[in-house]
Amino acid sequence: MLNPEKCISCRTCELACSFKHDREFRPSAARVNVVQFEREGISVPLMCLQCETAACEKVCPTGALKRNESTGALVVDDAKCIRCKMCVQACPFGNIAYDPAKNHILRCDLCDGDPQCAKFCPSGAITYVEACTGILAKKRAYASKFKEVLQEVTE
Amino acid sequence: MYGWVGQILRVNLSDGTVKKEALDPVEIQNYIGARGLGTRLWTKECDPKMDPLSEANNLIFMTGPLTGTMATNAGRYNVICKAPLTGTMAASNAGGYWGPELKYAGYDGIVFEGQSEKQVYLWINDGEVELRCAEHLWGKDVNETTDTLREETNINARVACIGPAGENLVKYACILNDYTRAAGRSGVGAVMGSKNLKAIVVRGTGGVKVADSDAFMNALIRARKMVADHPVTGQGLPAYGTQILINILDQSGGLPVHNFRDSGTFPNADATSGETLAKTYLVRNKGCMGCNIGCGRIVNVPDGPYKSFGEGPEYEAGWSFGADCGIDDLAAIIKANNYCNELGMDPITLGSTIACAFELYEIGAITEKDAGCPMRFGDAATMVELARKTAFREGMGDDLAEGSYRMASKYGHPELSMTCKKQEMAAYDPRALQGMGLSYATNNRGGCHVRGYMTSPEILGLPEKLDNLATEGKAGWTKTFQDLTAAVDSAGICLFLTFAIGAPEISEQMIAATGIDYTVEELMKAGERIWNMERLFNITNGFTKKDDSLPPRLLKDPIKIGPCKGSVNKLDVMLPEYYELRGWDSEGRPTSEKLQELDIQ
Amino acid sequence: MKVKFFALLRDITGVKETTDFTGTTLVELLKELSAHYGKEMTRWLFTPTAPNQEKQIGKDVIILVNGRAIEHLAGLKTTLEEEDEVAIFPRLAGG
Repeated sequence: MLNPEKCISCRTCELACSFKHDREFRPSAARVNVVQFEREGISVPLMCLQCETAACEKVCPTGALKRNESTGALVVDDAKCIRCKMCVQACPFGNIAYDPAKNHILRCDLCDGDPQCAKFCPSGAITYVEACTGILAKKRAYASKFKEVLQEVTE
Repeated sequence: MYGWVGQILRVNLSDGTVKKEALDPVEIQNYIGARGLGTRLWTKECDPKMDPLSEANNLIFMTGPLTGTMATNAGRYNVICKAPLTGTMAASNAGGYWGPELKYAGYDGIVFEGQSEKQVYLWINDGEVELRCAEHLWGKDVNETTDTLREETNINARVACIGPAGENLVKYACILNDYTRAAGRSGVGAVMGSKNLKAIVVRGTGGVKVADSDAFMNALIRARKMVADHPVTGQGLPAYGTQILINILDQSGGLPVHNFRDSGTFPNADATSGETLAKTYLVRNKGCMGCNIGCGRIVNVPDGPYKSFGEGPEYEAGWSFGADCGIDDLAAIIKANNYCNELGMDPITLGSTIACAFELYEIGAITEKDAGCPMRFGDAATMVELARKTAFREGMGDDLAEGSYRMASKYGHPELSMTCKKQEMAAYDPRALQGMGLSYATNNRGGCHVRGYMTSPEILGLPEKLDNLATEGKAGWTKTFQDLTAAVDSAGICLFLTFAIGAPEISEQMIAATGIDYTVEELMKAGERIWNMERLFNITNGFTKKDDSLPPRLLKDPIKIGPCKGSVNKLDVMLPEYYELRGWDSEGRPTSEKLQELDIQ
Repeated sequence: MKVKFFALLRDITGVKETTDFTGTTLVELLKELSAHYGKEMTRWLFTPTAPNQEKQIGKDVIILVNGRAIEHLAGLKTTLEEEDEVAIFPRLAGG
């Protein structure tokens, strides 16, 4: 679950992600990215949204993207992947990348069910929750704004 | 090499050559990185007696071994050179994302030598390094410069640059990176300006490796938890920023007011407090690379004469433009602080210099004809306009650009400059905080609060409460804080985390990251070594015991009101004990035994 | 006497200062504040102890009486007069 309004732009998620996957601190190889709009003071963390009908999976010519049954994440099988980068181009959100240094596809695999970005996010901008719980919390947060407005009107 | 990348860049601006050099493994072990290593490199290669704005003054950007890792709050780097404001060594510390990016590009630091004939910027794109023309950027502020350079190079590139103040050689110009993070004090931006170097743009796609991944992860998880659980770093700084300090300093009687003339209490201090900021102009908070505190304040003044958007103010800027100038209008303070970020000046020195000008005007030493307008404490519009003028050296701004010591001397009253070694003190009155006074007086770069933060034990009671009005034990605490801070600054981590964690947690992270046995004892010794190295530079440069002092006002004129009424700073009681604990002679010179013990050549 | 609140404590009290409380020693005043403002205030003011034990000051609170930290006065036993000012801060400032 992403809550950009809580993001403090520290990019700890990028550090944690790259360290988990590559054993080094290398934000350019992170599967999660914080997109910063410094002049407006807004930062948006972005990562694979784990689409159910996924363009990357459909476009892959070798069937290298397989869904992990327990986490629901689509995972790249490096042995099957031919580095054609069709998935990179197919993702409408820009959430897949190719790392020329390591010659592989960078794609969130939910860290086998223990996503490091959520674990280390200090502000609650990235959380790992059941989809319906996350949506309900967001719904409630926005509904409470309505509540405040309504209260002001009635007072 | 782990932690460090192992390589620095050497750029000669006079002939345009760029070289890559390996780091010396012995030097990094002894001087760690950032402040320590940078100062070591500088002192080995440069003549201490030079004019700071001459081409002989090397300008060094240096990260630490933890910079760019996930260690607690490891987003920092230092800028090292001889300081134009003080004549001491400058090592100005900045956060943001620029320092880590430099390491990802493959360099622990950059040494700039010489002076460029033309206006240039340096573009580092991983292994490719290029000096480029910057004529189109000259005169542009920090925001415009950063935007333009990212468009020209790479939208994800990180930019460290000077604003008009650095170009105009304002003695306390800073270098800003990532728009709003500053290597703020002592005038490193003026040195960059004197070299005709507008900016350093970096894009790096590499990484930083550590020696023992599992041990490092375990150590940082423990340390991060301590930072998150501590009331200062886990609650206070995220919720209110550093400006939260104004009320407790005011209530304790330690807030300097009207250029330290009317210290004790500032009516309506709460109007400028972190609490008020959080309820008014705060948009959200912000952290540097890998930070889990997030003390940065994104602020928006939506309308009125002080309409502006930016970051800050920190407590010290909130005070210098606020209580010190007699101003309780938070929007005006934010506007002046934003000018500092956009035009590239140190707000502590600028605010304190304006306060000094106000006092000089009130006693008639500066006339309306000199200033071009009346200048009185409490006049917010004048304060804000003077802040802007200073960056361009317009009118009175030309005097202000020299700092309060040179300005007050010009108008015949150097004693009204609230400086140590010509650098303005921060927002803690040494008459109310005895130890902070000792810390200012003995600080190797002059009046500065971040190299021995005695406010922590004297006011906040961390790690334990000391009586702020007492002198007993202050020498020992000051030495310990100074040495620990030197090690923290050199490791590439943020000083704020020392509210929550201590030397053992830093040691654990350092050992796991570098594979070198940085025990607590070794870290403290490295800190002491760095402190003595800086001291030796000052001594070679003609500084003596008489420079370890405070403005006469703080030693002679008691505080007139509030809880510390009647108090002066008793520096003469604390200083001999401090020298003794340092292993220095009675004139404050490190003895040969001490230098041998620390292995300083 | 005047009692002033700062930072997070203001969220609990809803006011910046009050003259509604009395108490001739600090511990009496703090007990009154604790009773009036409830659990959240108590958590800041006191370290949890058994009911029959002597009250202990909370470890994350800073209390000034007339601008002096109570560590340098008589702690919880500090006596209070009508004209005194008590300032209470959560220990969370830094910078």
